[in-house]
Amino acid sequence: MQINLRHKGSVTILDIEGNLVGPNTIALKNIIDNQIQEANGEPVFMILNLERVQMMDSSGLGVIVAAYASIRRNNGRVVLLNIGGNIRSLIVMAKLVTIFDRYDTEAEAIASFF
Amino acid sequence: MGEKTQLRIFLSLPSTMQLIYLLDTVISDILREMNFDEETQEHVNLAVIEAGTNAIKHGNKEDTNKTATFEFLIEDDKLTIVVTDEGSGFQREDVANPLEPENLLKSSGRGLFLMEACMDEVIYEAEGTIVKMVKYKQSPNL
Repeated sequence: MQINLRHKGSVTILDIEGNLVGPNTIALKNIIDNQIQEANGEPVFMILNLERVQMMDSSGLGVIVAAYASIRRNNGRVVLLNIGGNIRSLIVMAKLVTIFDRYDTEAEAIASFF
Repeated sequence: MGEKTQLRIFLSLPSTMQLIYLLDTVISDILREMNFDEETQEHVNLAVIEAGTNAIKHGNKEDTNKTATFEFLIEDDKLTIVVTDEGSGFQREDVANPLEPENLLKSSGRGLFLMEACMDEVIYEAEGTIVKMVKYKQSPNL
């Protein structure tokens, strides 16, 4: 699995490629935790670009739910970008569809923070 | 006489989570060979990974001296998967429902729910150390 970290202004974007399954999810958790830590209590605005994620299991779901909860605690937001059918049905199944805002373009996702 | 075709594949893995990806490869090949539709393949794949994670991580506590076994019974009309671990087991009713509002933001506890949502049958035996899951070629709900 590969994760590319980039910033656009105050927005952090993680482009994730591969399957968010099992031990692979630890790398994503570490990157998200580092970003939260570096923000030092300031709100984090994060986009998880899942365009190239074909599969996610409960560990992957756990990482993005934990990110949502931690980031929200400091008045930040995490949103999902480009989720495919598999991930969409997983999120619906787990009743997380009301929790995560989802966008089809990066511009829309960035605009949602302001 | 319409005799049923049966093929049994048995996989025994030391309890390390890195082998989840091997399990993924094996079940993906089985599902393709059985010509399940793409959505069903994704669901069964997810259920097997969840069951494997439960056996290796929660059952055997990632102790590589313990094995998790996976039996795939391929029949014309269904796939049966039996996952066994060497752990101390669990009671299904003790596991909280992840869909309850107070559990929605918990970072764990969705594995059993996903297995049950993705398969046609999930049966826990021997105090939860054996999990039997079935997927029919044609959903029994149709």
